[in-house]
Amino acid sequence: MISYIVRRLLILPIILIGVTLLVFSMIMMLGPYERLSTYIKDPAELKNVDVDVLVTKLGLNDPWYEQYGRWISGVARGDMGWSESAGSTVTQAFLSRFPATAELGLLALLPVVVGGVILGVFASVHHNDFWDHVSRVLAIIGWSVPTFVFGLIMLMIFYGTLGWFPPSRLDSWALDIVNSAGFINYTNFFIIDGLLNANFAIVGNAIRHLVAPVITISILWWAFIMRITRSSMLEILRRDYIRTARAKGVKENVVVYKHAVRNALIPVVTVAGRMVLGLLGGLVITETIFNIKGLGQFMAQAAQQLDYPAVLGGTLYFGFLLILINLCVDVSYAIIDPRIRLE
Amino acid sequence: MSKEKLIDVNDLATYFHTEEGTVKAVDGVSFEIYPGETLGIVGESGCGKSVTSLSIMRLIESPPGKIENGEILFNGKDLTKLNQKQMRKIRGNDISMIFQEPMTSLNPVYTVGDQIMEAILIHKDVSKKEARQEAIDMLTKVGIPLPEQRVDEYPHQLSGGMRQRVMIAMSLSCDPQLLIADEPTTALDVTIQAQILELMNSLKRQFGMAIMMITHDLGVIAEVSDRVAVMYAGKVVEYADVKDLYGDPKHPYTWGLMYSIPHIEKDLERLEAIPGNVPNPLNFPEGCKFNTRCQFATDKCRVDEPELEEVEEGHYSACWHVDKLEEQKAKQGRG
Repeated sequence: MISYIVRRLLILPIILIGVTLLVFSMIMMLGPYERLSTYIKDPAELKNVDVDVLVTKLGLNDPWYEQYGRWISGVARGDMGWSESAGSTVTQAFLSRFPATAELGLLALLPVVVGGVILGVFASVHHNDFWDHVSRVLAIIGWSVPTFVFGLIMLMIFYGTLGWFPPSRLDSWALDIVNSAGFINYTNFFIIDGLLNANFAIVGNAIRHLVAPVITISILWWAFIMRITRSSMLEILRRDYIRTARAKGVKENVVVYKHAVRNALIPVVTVAGRMVLGLLGGLVITETIFNIKGLGQFMAQAAQQLDYPAVLGGTLYFGFLLILINLCVDVSYAIIDPRIRLE
Repeated sequence: MSKEKLIDVNDLATYFHTEEGTVKAVDGVSFEIYPGETLGIVGESGCGKSVTSLSIMRLIESPPGKIENGEILFNGKDLTKLNQKQMRKIRGNDISMIFQEPMTSLNPVYTVGDQIMEAILIHKDVSKKEARQEAIDMLTKVGIPLPEQRVDEYPHQLSGGMRQRVMIAMSLSCDPQLLIADEPTTALDVTIQAQILELMNSLKRQFGMAIMMITHDLGVIAEVSDRVAVMYAGKVVEYADVKDLYGDPKHPYTWGLMYSIPHIEKDLERLEAIPGNVPNPLNFPEGCKFNTRCQFATDKCRVDEPELEEVEEGHYSACWHVDKLEEQKAKQGRG
């Protein structure tokens, strides 16, 4: 088990280098003048300067490997250029937007995986019962409605009509408190900071603002995880070893939760890994709809404004995230299925 | 036999209600097993032998399956009347079962030790440590080398024969009175088959349990059984001591099966197979279910279904024309 994880970690640097090469080749598809923008920290620098001189000075006509070396050492130091659309360096822009996205993403992810699996198991045990049909209908609806439509409907009903779940991250009175001197921003995760400052009004307000986007982003995946779990469970429950367990006198719920679920989780883990990537895509739409200043919204804006450094930095960042997620998926496989550990 | 019957199955009928119609997988089966004896149940695939065993265990999936009729008296208690909770106390404890496919009958994500211990922990009042020791003892008894090491291995690390030994260890771990073995050697190659059968015979002597051996292999039955029930299309068609059955089959189906076994001393051009196929369970023929394939069949056979009748002492057959079969046997004996 441990040797399996170590082997996975050893391949990690190779994959990371691969990702940086890929992103770098995207940068190199741009001409030297366009690439110049990734090096300019402040537009004011461009005034009264000969651009050609700058290109030569920055070595933008050098061979690609020299440029790659310089670029990668910059990336390693957290220097990914200046983002025009954010009005700060790309790194700063990412850091300031990361908490909002992470808060939303984590709150969406955990309930989806846990809840989706539980519902899927429930549906499989009640195969073709009333509840199985109900869950099927809900899943089809959840799976069919696109995120942007669902988000707008949520906004219309729960904010426009009922006024329960407003957009953005906090109400303005709460923002005033958060930005005031008395409130210490430990993490910029408002729920956590609210708890650390013992200011439960902030916690409540942050949660209230998160309900609608979390539901919007996760509804599709609830449905998906549930359906995968259900079909996987139905297949596993027909296996011979389930009959063996019953023949031993094992209680039915132990048969389901001990003998079947662990085997049924193997395809679910695969899907859950994909789902995280899907969630990242969903973040772009959801953050835009609910006006949450997170990475998704930032990436969407940067792309619209042809902010190359931000887009490339974002690509690199999401690439790294993807590798981490794949690592988590691989390790989860090994934990669930002993056959994989020994390969 | 004046001993108490261990299990007494009377007129058992298990049907499956499917969309295409009712499948009468088991339709009026009766037999009994005495303590310590081995009853062989033999028949082609689809004749209802596995459904009979799963009915005894009450493991028929419901819906679509249902025990429609009959009683299964185990030590005088009717298993068909018990609820699932009462049944669970019997499964794996008083009656346990091993299956055809050792490759798929063990859970791939738990160690063999875990799986043996699970049965012990359910039925016996022992600690985990004691259960583990018992599991190791059982692995030793079924002839698995290095049991202390094997106990922590996963099923995929063992060969088919070893897995079947693990299954046997698991099924015997709670000292059952009856072991149901559903084609335990079918998926194994011949040398391993012989080893497993020998193991089962020696464990039977050691543990003194009765065995219900289900197979389509007449050779296996001959090797281990005391008495045999031959099943065809959901019914027992012949029921006798193993020697009587092999020496003098009283049902055309059994007789046909015997003729389809290759004999080393006879030099045959080709094997005699029983003509035709097993009838579709959704559409069994009227009368005797074997009439479509039987060379002795008459109009009576196509209308009336024969009951199991004692044709010799302790030898039962369900056929209208045992006399015709005798004539044929006499003719072949001369020729």
